[in-house]
Amino acid sequence: MPTSQLSSAPPAPTASPASTPRGWRTLLVGRRLSLALAAGGLLLALLLPTIFDQIFGFAGGFQLHRITLIYIFALAAFAQNILTGYAAQPSLGNAAFFGLGGYLVAWLAGDLGQPFWVAILLAMVASALIGVVVGGPALRVSGAYLAIATLGLVFIAGSLFDFWDTTVGRMSYDINTLPGLLSDDHPLYFVVFVITLAVFGLGATLLRSRVGRAWVAIRESETAALAFGVNTTYYKLLAFIVSAALTGLAGALYAIWAQTANSSMSSVDETIIFLSMIVVGGLGSILGSVLGALFVGFLPLLLGQLPSPMTFGGFSIQVSTLTTGIYGLLLLLALIFFPAGLASARDYLRTLPGRLASRGGAA
Amino acid sequence: MQAFLQVTISGLVTGSLYGLLALGLVLIYRTTGVLNFAYSAISVFAAGFLYILLTGPRMNFWVALPLSLLFAAALGAVVERLFARPVLHAPVFTKAIATLALALVLATIEQAIWPQLAQTEHFPTPFEGAAINVGGVYVTVAALLALLVTAVVVAALTLFLGRTRLGIAMRASADNQAVAQLMGAPVSRIFLLTWSVASVVGALTAIMLAAQQRTINITYMDPVLILAFVAAVLGGLDSLPGALIGGVLVGLADNWLALGLAGHQLGPLDISAPGIRATIIFVAFILVLLLRPQGLLGKAELRRV
Amino acid sequence: MTEAASPLLDVRGVTVRFGGLVAINALDLAVREGEIFALVGPNGAGKTTLLNCISGFTAPSAGSLTFAGVDLLALGRHRRAALGIARTFQDVQLFASMTVLDNLLTAQHAHLRASFLTSLLPVGPAIAEDRRARAAARDLLERLGIARYADSIAGTLPFGAQKLVGVARALALRPRMVLLDEPAAGMPQAEVAAFAEALRRWRDELGLTFLLIEHNMELVQSVAERVCVLDYGRKLAEGAPAEALADPAVLEAYLGSAGGVAVKEGAHAEG
Repeated sequence: MPTSQLSSAPPAPTASPASTPRGWRTLLVGRRLSLALAAGGLLLALLLPTIFDQIFGFAGGFQLHRITLIYIFALAAFAQNILTGYAAQPSLGNAAFFGLGGYLVAWLAGDLGQPFWVAILLAMVASALIGVVVGGPALRVSGAYLAIATLGLVFIAGSLFDFWDTTVGRMSYDINTLPGLLSDDHPLYFVVFVITLAVFGLGATLLRSRVGRAWVAIRESETAALAFGVNTTYYKLLAFIVSAALTGLAGALYAIWAQTANSSMSSVDETIIFLSMIVVGGLGSILGSVLGALFVGFLPLLLGQLPSPMTFGGFSIQVSTLTTGIYGLLLLLALIFFPAGLASARDYLRTLPGRLASRGGAA
Repeated sequence: MQAFLQVTISGLVTGSLYGLLALGLVLIYRTTGVLNFAYSAISVFAAGFLYILLTGPRMNFWVALPLSLLFAAALGAVVERLFARPVLHAPVFTKAIATLALALVLATIEQAIWPQLAQTEHFPTPFEGAAINVGGVYVTVAALLALLVTAVVVAALTLFLGRTRLGIAMRASADNQAVAQLMGAPVSRIFLLTWSVASVVGALTAIMLAAQQRTINITYMDPVLILAFVAAVLGGLDSLPGALIGGVLVGLADNWLALGLAGHQLGPLDISAPGIRATIIFVAFILVLLLRPQGLLGKAELRRV
Repeated sequence: MTEAASPLLDVRGVTVRFGGLVAINALDLAVREGEIFALVGPNGAGKTTLLNCISGFTAPSAGSLTFAGVDLLALGRHRRAALGIARTFQDVQLFASMTVLDNLLTAQHAHLRASFLTSLLPVGPAIAEDRRARAAARDLLERLGIARYADSIAGTLPFGAQKLVGVARALALRPRMVLLDEPAAGMPQAEVAAFAEALRRWRDELGLTFLLIEHNMELVQSVAERVCVLDYGRKLAEGAPAEALADPAVLEAYLGSAGGVAVKEGAHAEG
């Protein structure tokens, strides 16, 4: 009986997996480095208030306040990343929940006199509930359609908040009843830091679990995910809800941080910030969420430090008018050189020893 | 009735301009997979160029217009080569963010070279203020020109995509890049051309809109871009006629709502505010998408196993 | 025998139409518990279409599909895994960015009980369940001789290894029946015999039933207990490999004349 002939055979399944770096290289780029970095980062975060007081003196509190914002950004980035980077749903609607969280905390704690922790929790719960109501139908559409439809949500939320403000006759929804714990720069920094740390810790656990695997399975192959029993509809909705709740939390903290809620919290600009963070940092990467928040949060601060006007010989440039453009250019360069996000630089470092060792192979 | 006709005509005019911009968005999305959020900044760049030619050297409008369209074509090509090309194979999402970043860069450049456009400036045209009276309904020449330009652009694009070799190759590469490349279509040139053509369409839209409202500044196209995206998605992101129809629908809805809501109060609330109008349009848009997830004229996505 | 009376998979009068094209035409098929059943036929014969009907990715326009007495057509796509139906894909479709171990853990999805809350805050039973799942996955990789890949990223493995991981992923579901879509495509000829041996061993040790689509006739001849030959969605012949493949109608379909069964190789498109 004739049998089929193979024209070309792929490598046998006995090929060894990519060799792992050993010895000192492991120390430099392996798991121990990650641990050391995490410990170092934690220590730095805890000591930052003291360091800032030393460096900036009176302005220390003000500078610290700006760092607090980066933690809030990181929360929002993580929320967007769970939905977009892990469960692969390109929703642009998170800014709607950001505003919702802010306005709810202002209303519940400011006008209704509820304790702040209750207000924050309710803001999260309400965001999750509205996430269910909105997410169910929204996930019927996919891809670019989902992106633009959810962008519509942001517009609706933004104009409703604006409408509320105009009707009541205020510019924005100020919060005047903050306790010292949430209004002074130093305690607020620690409160936000602890919340951020808790969310990232719980989130990392979740992403390593059955739920997180189901999300990544949907991203990698929806067909295979279904064939292996993943209820994709349920898990997409779950990602939408978790993301909405976390964004609501971030919005509530933002309103507390700014001591006011504003309809621009639900705007295209805010959406752009969330998306830039995860795309620059790295889709589907926890570290990426943090790096993205640092990039988006720090860069404008650093650019703001540039002397203005700057003179080169007889040539003078009003730098302050260019910061947005420089920021955009750096964002663009980051995307061109790290299309998989800044977090991919870690993998680059990790595989560097191997590639250096085999240098001279394929040029 | 008179008022209704008047509003319907202005809805048709602004709607066809939304539709034109949506056409450009669909052209780029279909061919290169980029949701182009820098489109408003690119269009304003060309309209601003025209404004400078008109107000600086006081050039004749009909001389300056083709010059600024050429400028738009060149700008589109430069943007494609410098910014769109390097991220060509990135995920759709990354490409969309790249265009947002590009929009920031372009807006900053515009601001730096034309600081006067940070404020709203008068946009002069030879047909400014001219209008004709059709049975009691006034139609400005600018509005008529906008309708004419839309018709010409749509006809030209249809002919180009349907009848010329390059146009057919362009459609082919929109359907399947890899196959088009195998068939020998000059995919690289097609991408360049797509961005150029789309930029010219965007420039025309921006210029017609500025002529219409008789003013220009750096940000006036931003809200228009969002509505154009709504129009494009409403029509189905892969359908050129759909984009135009979507645009006209959005334009009509906006104007009719403005007429219907004008001066009305809902209890203490003033519901004639533009924000409420936008909200109603967006809610309607989302409802339509729920009924037809692929847009009005879009093809349903086939899932392959 | 009761097994013969009620087959594990019972396909009755299944017809699939794509527009005007009839991909499967009133097909009857019965796969018994514990057998290795091969589905062969030229490309476009409707083999993968049938697999997709079983998995739920294609809806038949007529007919019924019953698995272990359960009406499959009444079940959502994601509910069929829990019945014990696992499959591989022609283009593998691994969860590419996951490690091999995580691929196998994901395959156990239907059996694991961890909810959103116990995933967020794993305590007691949840931790134990996770540990058991990991142990089972590593055990399976060991059994298949690919334990060394456990922590590699699936998408970075060579194609042959990915196909093997695809089989491991299907077995990790702890299935009753495994649908294999061209497992030997691209496999070096020297390994086919070993693979046939492995299929039989897994069947015996794990108590499995295999429904196999294959172009490689050596594998079909050596491993299948029964063969069904499809052409243009119709059943040409069914029975023991030697008889079914020698059926005049089959020879006609393949060669247009007598000779042996030779099948074109390499094409992947399937109606």
